[in-house]
Amino acid sequence: MRLVYAVVAGVLFLLVFRLINLQVVENETWLEQAVENYTTSINEPAPRGIIYDRNGFVLARNLASYNVVITPADLPDDGADIQKIYRELSTLIEVPVNSGTVEDAKLVAPCTEGPGIAQLVELGDSNAPYTPVKVKCFVDEVKARIVSERAVDWPGVSVEVEPIRDYPTGSLTANVIGFLGPIPARLEADYLARGFVPRRDKVGYSGVELSLDEILLGRNGIRIIQEDVAGKELRNLEPPIATAPGNNVTLTIDTRLQSAAEAVLINEIREWNAYFGQERMSSGVVIAMNPQTGEILAMVTYPTYENNRMVRFIPGYYYEQLSQDPRRPLLNNAISSEFPPGSTFKLSTAVGALNEGVVTLSDIIEAPGQLVLTETFSPNDPGRERPFVDWTYNLNGVINPEGFGTIDYLHCIAYSSNVCFYKLGGGYKDEIPQGLGIERLGEYARAIGYNQPSGIALPGEQGGLIPTPQWKRINKGENWSTGDTYIASVGQGYVLATPLQVLMSGATIANDGKLMQPTIVREVQDSEGNVVEKWFDPATFEITDAKSSETSYQISPFSPTMKWDITQTPLIRDFVCEGPYCTETDKFKVVDPFVVQKVQEGMRLAVTDNQDGIRRGTLNKVFGDTTKFPIAIAGKTGTAEYCDDVALAANRCQFGAWPTHSWTLAYAPYDNPEIIILAFVYNGGEGASVAAPIVARVMQAYFEIKAIDLAAGGG
Amino acid sequence: MNRGISWRHFDFWLLGVIVFAIAFGVAMIRSAIAGNEEIAQSVTRQIQFAVIGLVVIILVASIDYRYWTALYIPMYIVMMILLIMIYISAQPQFGAARWFQVAGLFIQPTELAKVVEVLILARYFEVTKDRPRDLKWILGSLAWVWGLAIWILLQPNLSNVIVMMVIWAAMIWISGIQIKHLLWGALIGIMGIATAFPFLEQYQRDRVLTFLFPDANATYGATYNVQQALIAIGSGGLLGQGYGHGTQVQLRFLKVRHTDFIFSAISEEFGMIGAGLVIAILVFIVIRCLRTSRLARDITGAMIGYGIAVLIFFQGAVNISVNMNIIPVSGLPLPFISYGGSGLVSLMLGIGLVESVIIRHRQMEF
Repeated sequence: MRLVYAVVAGVLFLLVFRLINLQVVENETWLEQAVENYTTSINEPAPRGIIYDRNGFVLARNLASYNVVITPADLPDDGADIQKIYRELSTLIEVPVNSGTVEDAKLVAPCTEGPGIAQLVELGDSNAPYTPVKVKCFVDEVKARIVSERAVDWPGVSVEVEPIRDYPTGSLTANVIGFLGPIPARLEADYLARGFVPRRDKVGYSGVELSLDEILLGRNGIRIIQEDVAGKELRNLEPPIATAPGNNVTLTIDTRLQSAAEAVLINEIREWNAYFGQERMSSGVVIAMNPQTGEILAMVTYPTYENNRMVRFIPGYYYEQLSQDPRRPLLNNAISSEFPPGSTFKLSTAVGALNEGVVTLSDIIEAPGQLVLTETFSPNDPGRERPFVDWTYNLNGVINPEGFGTIDYLHCIAYSSNVCFYKLGGGYKDEIPQGLGIERLGEYARAIGYNQPSGIALPGEQGGLIPTPQWKRINKGENWSTGDTYIASVGQGYVLATPLQVLMSGATIANDGKLMQPTIVREVQDSEGNVVEKWFDPATFEITDAKSSETSYQISPFSPTMKWDITQTPLIRDFVCEGPYCTETDKFKVVDPFVVQKVQEGMRLAVTDNQDGIRRGTLNKVFGDTTKFPIAIAGKTGTAEYCDDVALAANRCQFGAWPTHSWTLAYAPYDNPEIIILAFVYNGGEGASVAAPIVARVMQAYFEIKAIDLAAGGG
Repeated sequence: MNRGISWRHFDFWLLGVIVFAIAFGVAMIRSAIAGNEEIAQSVTRQIQFAVIGLVVIILVASIDYRYWTALYIPMYIVMMILLIMIYISAQPQFGAARWFQVAGLFIQPTELAKVVEVLILARYFEVTKDRPRDLKWILGSLAWVWGLAIWILLQPNLSNVIVMMVIWAAMIWISGIQIKHLLWGALIGIMGIATAFPFLEQYQRDRVLTFLFPDANATYGATYNVQQALIAIGSGGLLGQGYGHGTQVQLRFLKVRHTDFIFSAISEEFGMIGAGLVIAILVFIVIRCLRTSRLARDITGAMIGYGIAVLIFFQGAVNISVNMNIIPVSGLPLPFISYGGSGLVSLMLGIGLVESVIIRHRQMEF
């Protein structure tokens, strides 16, 4: 009997010992687990901001999409009932009841077709039985309604509404608007800290969806709640953080002009390709901007992509196809691709040569069809004779050794005479004893917008390239030669620019030397429609509520930002030059307003020069008809020789007959410009015959739209 | 038949504590319902069974326990028939057939069988008190036990077979089993367990295995109930979360909280005070039963008091140990506190027998 008491005492001791251990020693640990059991954080996604064009036309919005989900814990207990639900649901949503194994289901992302309903639910049940499992994503509204109705008889089955992005204008604005994608793995921690949910919330991947992501995102609502074992919500444990919808953004784009520009560009390219019977011109860009304010009215790139195909998930094959395409449809070629600017770059040479006194207005320059110049790589290099041809020298096999004959400065611009600009840039014997030189050319090119990103609020902008002798030594391992200066003077050789930079160079001249910050954003409104102040810093891509740094500028509400005025801001470094060699000084100077005016006149002369039917002004054929263009227009063409990988592969790089990109920029009205349009066609050939007609038609469309707006009483 | 009994010796302390335990249990069952419709009736049912049980205690106490041992043959046969019937005819519910559904109530003959076993063994050791403690004596007692236990094993209900074997072992120990037989028995027992393990039902093997080797990855399923029980007990602390305020109980994270895991529910809401009280109640009841056993006038009485003490103590200790994850999960309820009519009435029947013994511990008194 004593042993019995001992056993009782022993068991008693064991139980009490364990009880003290659990309730006193380990109390805090268990208490934490109890709290964790019933505490759940609910993250409510913030609606993303809507993107409008300047007239309030919707460019990006949110639509509801419907997912059929099953909550494993809510399914009936009986296996046969579950199977019945699976079978009935399967016939409706066309997902097999059984397909593959649970192991297979582990490998695929949610919403991917493949695993059967039973496998998806089994996987979900083993992970988190109270979390709904997506068995079929993006069903149409009718099916969603049918499932919702029948869900009464199908415990555990329900329809989840998920917002997805919709782009009414699709590929028309894809290069500007961009698309969304899942939060990238390397940024997961950042976004988590800010209350976003990886694998659910989406962020911008390109276009303004990326650059303006911060203002479009909004702030997710977060509630810490108590729930019971069935996942039923009981009460808030902490004061909830309300959902703050993203800000809406109005862009400067006019969708009508954008649409017209796209149609014109594609038609022109198709017509020429049909004419040549081959896919000759592969891509192109059209940009329209108000030169006085910097507002981008249209920015078209061709080819582009359909961003509506990316809204649910980014299809691998489609993305692969786009990224492998040598025409780079995923990039916004207006800002992300660099091309030789060709003759459009002559504006830099023209401004520089006149401002530096390389040439005067009264100088008569001989402009034969070709010029034999001595190319030297160093002061003592005896040099090598090399012909530099003008674009009139060989026109479709007709040799024209006369060239333009003798012309003055304005006609050099109007006719876009290469020989004239060779002389201005590199000097020629006694005629132009001291050329501009590459260093000074670079100063003027930068002053009108080249060699640096414009700072527009779009991602992926490139800076272009204005070569210097030092750049050439580092990158090419060769001395700068006199020939390099000659061809740089006409925008060839190593010179590279984005279409937007070319447009800005023209806009700066058109706007009397004032370089305006190009902008895509007109205003930002909060969810209640109030316009909010926003500043954008191109250096960091940060968006702030007030001016944050020297480089930042106001994007909302829109106010034109002048970056500099070349006639006021001393930007041009002074050089002392002797022959082709210049040494820099510490002095800076401005451009004489008279110089800008003369360059404008040269560009105007390109339109108006028509000497008794000899239409030598490069834009006269296109814009010279005053019945079609009653408004005074000025502009500049460009035919830029190039030889890239694609051209090499196609065996197009034949000496003396290089493939050429076609450029044209034009602005109007001449005396008070409100629109400047640039067209670029890759491998388009002559600027005047391919790009210029595009500019002309877009220009017509612009004034037609303006007339419609005026008639409607709008602005 | 009531001639000569003296209610003066009736153990009112024992009855009082049992009534208190049942009341405490009912209060806890009420809290443990926690909005679950399916078990909403348990409070009323438990009270009804408690009243029935009290009547049973008084009735049984007033009848001399030796009448029962005298009627051992019919009692044994009826019990065996009930167990065979449940084995053969009962519908499988909740995985194992353990109930008779009579008039809407689930009646579990297995609970009764344990009390009957105590009576049968009490009689056996009484009549064999002068026999040598040889192998035949041991096997004789085992035969009586296995006549009932085999049907329980076939249900299958291993936990209650173990309870019956523990009662047998405790009673044969106190009756003076030889050490060499004990050692042989232990050896055979260990070998038996080792050979029987592969023949156990899958769920029984899983229970043992998850206890011995907890799977760190299994957050849901096998270890869930025990884990939730530990959280409930641990988070109760010294004073508890308060009646009706334990989150594990009220938000239903704790499963089977009104039956098998009621100790965890008590521990969460009443803390160590409540848990300690439950253990104290259990120990008190056991001590009172053992006291009866000491004072009994004959071997039968002593054996009844002792057997019921073992039954209550073993079930209680196993239940609490399961709650605290000391041993693998078994379906044994906490005596007098867990919800369950058959178990409650059977145990109260056992207490009635103990009272019957204590009332009659002196033959004559004037």
